[in-house]
Amino acid sequence: MMPLSVALGLAGVGAIDLSQVQWYLLLGTAIAVIGMVRMLLTRDLVARLIALNVTGIGSLMLILALAARTAESGDAAGAGDGTDPVLSALVITGLVITVAFTGLGAVLIRRIEGVQDVEGPEDTKDSGDAGDSGHFNGSKDAEAEE
Amino acid sequence: MSLTLFCLGAVVLVPLLASALSVLLGSVARRVLGVITSAAVLGLSTPILVQVTSGQTLELALGGFESPLGITLRADGLSALFLAMTAVVGAVVSCYAAARPASTGKRLVPGTPDRDADKQHHRHTEPPGVWRAGHAGFWPLWLGCWSGLNAVFLSGDLFNTYVGLELVGLTAVALVALGGRDAWPAALRYLFIAVLGSLLFLIGVALIYSVTGTLDIIDSGEIITGLAAEDDADLAAVVLALCLISLGLALKVALVPLHRWLIPAHSSAPSAVSPLLSALVIKAALFVLLRVWLWVAGPLPELAILAWVLAGMGAAAILVGSVMALRQTRLKPLIAYSTVAQVGYWFLLLPLLLDPETSALEGQPGTTLDDGAVLAGALSGTVALALGHGLAKASLFLSAGHLKDLYGTDEIADLRGAGRAHPMLVMSMGLSAVGLIGLPLSLGFSGKWLLATSAVAAGHYWMLVVLVAGTLFSAAYLLKAVAPLLVMSEDDQTELTLPQAQTRPEDPTLTGKAQLAPFVLGLLTVLTGFLGVWLTGVLEVGAPW
Repeated sequence: MMPLSVALGLAGVGAIDLSQVQWYLLLGTAIAVIGMVRMLLTRDLVARLIALNVTGIGSLMLILALAARTAESGDAAGAGDGTDPVLSALVITGLVITVAFTGLGAVLIRRIEGVQDVEGPEDTKDSGDAGDSGHFNGSKDAEAEE
Repeated sequence: MSLTLFCLGAVVLVPLLASALSVLLGSVARRVLGVITSAAVLGLSTPILVQVTSGQTLELALGGFESPLGITLRADGLSALFLAMTAVVGAVVSCYAAARPASTGKRLVPGTPDRDADKQHHRHTEPPGVWRAGHAGFWPLWLGCWSGLNAVFLSGDLFNTYVGLELVGLTAVALVALGGRDAWPAALRYLFIAVLGSLLFLIGVALIYSVTGTLDIIDSGEIITGLAAEDDADLAAVVLALCLISLGLALKVALVPLHRWLIPAHSSAPSAVSPLLSALVIKAALFVLLRVWLWVAGPLPELAILAWVLAGMGAAAILVGSVMALRQTRLKPLIAYSTVAQVGYWFLLLPLLLDPETSALEGQPGTTLDDGAVLAGALSGTVALALGHGLAKASLFLSAGHLKDLYGTDEIADLRGAGRAHPMLVMSMGLSAVGLIGLPLSLGFSGKWLLATSAVAAGHYWMLVVLVAGTLFSAAYLLKAVAPLLVMSEDDQTELTLPQAQTRPEDPTLTGKAQLAPFVLGLLTVLTGFLGVWLTGVLEVGAPW
């Protein structure tokens, strides 16, 4: 794998030589940390779920970069040939699990906010269409698929 | 393939299969299937425990595919003990849930209570629906969770551990959500924490792999030990990996100050779910933590700071959890805080791992142990505490949930004198309190004794202070929970009032045999206290020293 010198254009840091793998390691870490910070600081449920997804993508990217590094250094079975297959398999399973938890989280958020939609108007006045009570039933179906 | 190796595979796959199958069945058939499966898992776990006790570790490469790409299942002493505890608690709680389907959650039935179908969309129904007790979704979720737990305990490599942990985490979140509208925010909060913990664990696993080139637990442990023996060893990646893994698992196990999610999740979960969460789901993360610290990382001196930080958090957990438990007025949050406090005990052994020299009190009889014995004693003490906690907390949460369903409240003040009407429930609470406090005979006592002996032998006297303080605190908050139930109400004539009882008090399932389940677990808490020495022997099988 060709080393690529990447000049970080940060003020004060100057030019740092990073190999491509190191660059991706840094990027993955940054994405994961940004997602984590956002997840812990926001109260909006959908934003939290998306931030958790960002954290997940960041960590998977980190693992892919590690896979490339392991292959480069020649420790693993698939040395010298692109990326390490074992770590790539890890990433694929990680992606599947990301889909699973996103689905579960989306169902829960829809239920919670559905309740708020229903209860909100009822407290003030008896409006014609008090939210979407179909939420509960629809999300039951979604959960059965889990 | 011999019988025990068959059991090793089946104990993971049978509940998974039953989980998939139960989705297709009606709610009564699900209950039958659940009980049959729990009996099967109990039966399949026994040969594994017997074989491991005889001093042999079991190993099975599923489908004949060897590592790195195959899935290896491995059972040593630690696995067998956690597997057996899970089988016992799981089977008893399954029987309870089958006998009392109302304890498995609440479901929203649209329209009139007559209609059972909840699949129809009623967009303009006013009111939106009726909450009915019982949720058949419990069975596929719980059986899937059980399969994940067994997979974690038997996994031979770190990645399958991760998959098992995720399966446990996601099903546990869905199980909490069965508790109805009040439980959904708690379930969502639990989901965020559980997934974040898993992601940190995954990054740690990838770092360990990038250093060692293998995911196998034993192989990577040997490679790291080999690396540490070299002079110019660069173990920064291993230390970072251990930090991430410990942080991730501490999130999942709810170590103070990362414990806030546990209280709403465990206390708002349905009666049959809280015991599973508190007794078993948390143990999966603890098991992985012990595995990684003892089998993978070994005693690296670079990890000393991390070990002390975690042990400090453990001591803080005992203090904070106990004080908060004392301040609760409701039964289920009090028990949830007691879990937070008990979690602290399991982290105290970490500094001992790195410094097992028997330096102190040389020559004093009864205080010297050889180095291996310190480690073995500390580990078996911790495992005894964890297993004892599993049995006792399952019993305590079952009784508390049962009382809550019976009276529609778990305010301790409102339940005053409940012991007169339901002696068996309060008796089982008392028995499990004995186990949690660690009074002699119980498994909790054996655990504390083993841990304290090793601590003294290694010169870690601070641990004695923590253990004694924790014992006194737990006695205080458990007395606060149990004593009012035994006291007669002031004017003896009035029956105990039943404020807004959700379930009919004449419901036969509430007064029938279901009460036996917490009693059996409570009895086991005390009886297993005799197993302390046997436990140490079993843990020697496949131990890393």
